[in-house]
Amino acid sequence: MNVGLLAQSLLAGITNGLTYALIGIGLAAIFKGSRVPNAMQGEFSVVGAIVVVLLLTGHGWPYWLAILCGGLSGAILGAFIEVAFIRYMIRNAAPEDSYLLLTIGIGLSISAAVLYFFGRESHLLPGFGSDNLYIILDAVVREHVIWLIAISILLTIGLRQFYRTTSVGLKMMAASIDPVGAASIGIDVTLMRTFTFMLGGALGAAAGILITPIIPVDYMIGLQLTLKGFAAAILGGLTNPLGAAIGGLVLGIIEAMAIVGVSSSYKDVITFSLLILIMIAMPQGLLGRAGRTGG
Amino acid sequence: MLAIKELTAGYGQLRVLHGVSMHVGKGEAVAIVGANGAGKTTLVNAVCGLGPVTQGRVIKDDVDLTSDAAHRRGRHGIAVVLENRRLFGEMTVQENLRLAEEHGRAYRSANLQFTWQRICELFPLIAERRRTRIELLSGGQQQMVAIARALLLQPDLLILDEPSTGLAPKIVKEILHVLRGLRSEGMGILLIEQNVGVAVEITDRAYVMALGRIVHEAAGTEWQTFLNDERLAAAYLGKASAGI
Repeated sequence: MNVGLLAQSLLAGITNGLTYALIGIGLAAIFKGSRVPNAMQGEFSVVGAIVVVLLLTGHGWPYWLAILCGGLSGAILGAFIEVAFIRYMIRNAAPEDSYLLLTIGIGLSISAAVLYFFGRESHLLPGFGSDNLYIILDAVVREHVIWLIAISILLTIGLRQFYRTTSVGLKMMAASIDPVGAASIGIDVTLMRTFTFMLGGALGAAAGILITPIIPVDYMIGLQLTLKGFAAAILGGLTNPLGAAIGGLVLGIIEAMAIVGVSSSYKDVITFSLLILIMIAMPQGLLGRAGRTGG
Repeated sequence: MLAIKELTAGYGQLRVLHGVSMHVGKGEAVAIVGANGAGKTTLVNAVCGLGPVTQGRVIKDDVDLTSDAAHRRGRHGIAVVLENRRLFGEMTVQENLRLAEEHGRAYRSANLQFTWQRICELFPLIAERRRTRIELLSGGQQQMVAIARALLLQPDLLILDEPSTGLAPKIVKEILHVLRGLRSEGMGILLIEQNVGVAVEITDRAYVMALGRIVHEAAGTEWQTFLNDERLAAAYLGKASAGI
């Protein structure tokens, strides 16, 4: 195997891995903040990307403004789901598995809505920046890939800073660690949960917008993205959004190496077999914590 | 200052409190004692908005708080140190305290009674360990952070649910010392305790709870000598607790 091929596939692995990471981070943020396993995280990506396609090509909006609205659409959809469904289910003490069913249902509905309104065609977005190609270690790199890597890393670091240093971020974290303790010191736990869904939605949309210049978006891609995001999040430790970032990278790189080393037809088999082995050895995920103890 | 009127509460079909009425006057220190399962914690949760109330009212300074959400009650001067402390273990001492600072009566007032400096005087450990994660502190240290966190809400009524449980006698003494100091400054205290010996030390009146009802009210000498009266103690607290 030559260096160029290796570098090229490694780069592809990192690119895909960072996208999985963003979906996984959103998923983990929502799970941490509400204990809802969000089986429609990939649909946030679909909605974000479709909104940008619509505004950019349909209405001729400037690209940056369309991107901003795409991210916002994810946040709004997240807030809607929390306010319209999750809040009432929590109030009525719905069992945990019902949330999985709810989010699967919403995911399928969104997928159907995209099919109804936009048809079966897939859509690509133009790359960020210029269409220049760069050579790094014999690998050919589109400028968009560099943007994708940089923005994903910035979003991950930014999220960490947000949780650690901002007042809202700390409150969201507190409400997720101990809702009763948080309410007792004046934190509006319900509002924080809405914010968590907005954040998760915006991150999902960001992932969709970042990947659509590389992989076309269509009504069916949401479920695939959700599965990869789940794998990334579980690999990293489901309650640790930053673990999901590392989980996503590991997943992307294993997948790319499986394509080079064996065959692209077997990439999912190899990737998920390895994931199962990692999970047997480290059930809490790479950065996960053992179950919380009270007090 | 705090008045609870005919409070009935429970979980689903199960009724835990049956028409509980009690009050805490301004600057008064009152204890609620009773055996396990008497409904003490359910009462605290109802007062703080953390548990369901089926009937009755919770009134603070003539304002009816019964239907107020839990996170709004601090604004009326109520702060609670819950059983098991309920701190955020993955966060540092400073982060835990910072979260409280923005809420409660601090939310409205510019004139703060409990500043960082004051808190560090009361609990020197907080200044030393402010960057330490809560989960790395001992139970006693965590209890102090929990009290500090409640005080940063600038309350005039501090509710403590079983603050001495599981702590070494030396730590309990330190905590009692702080509470006594707060009392002398006019802080109202509602102390929920199974350990009557501890409760007697800083309160001047007590309600005895059993099976979700207030079955006795003790004040003055009767309260101070409560433990000596074997008949009372055994009747209301059960044999095990009476032996403390």
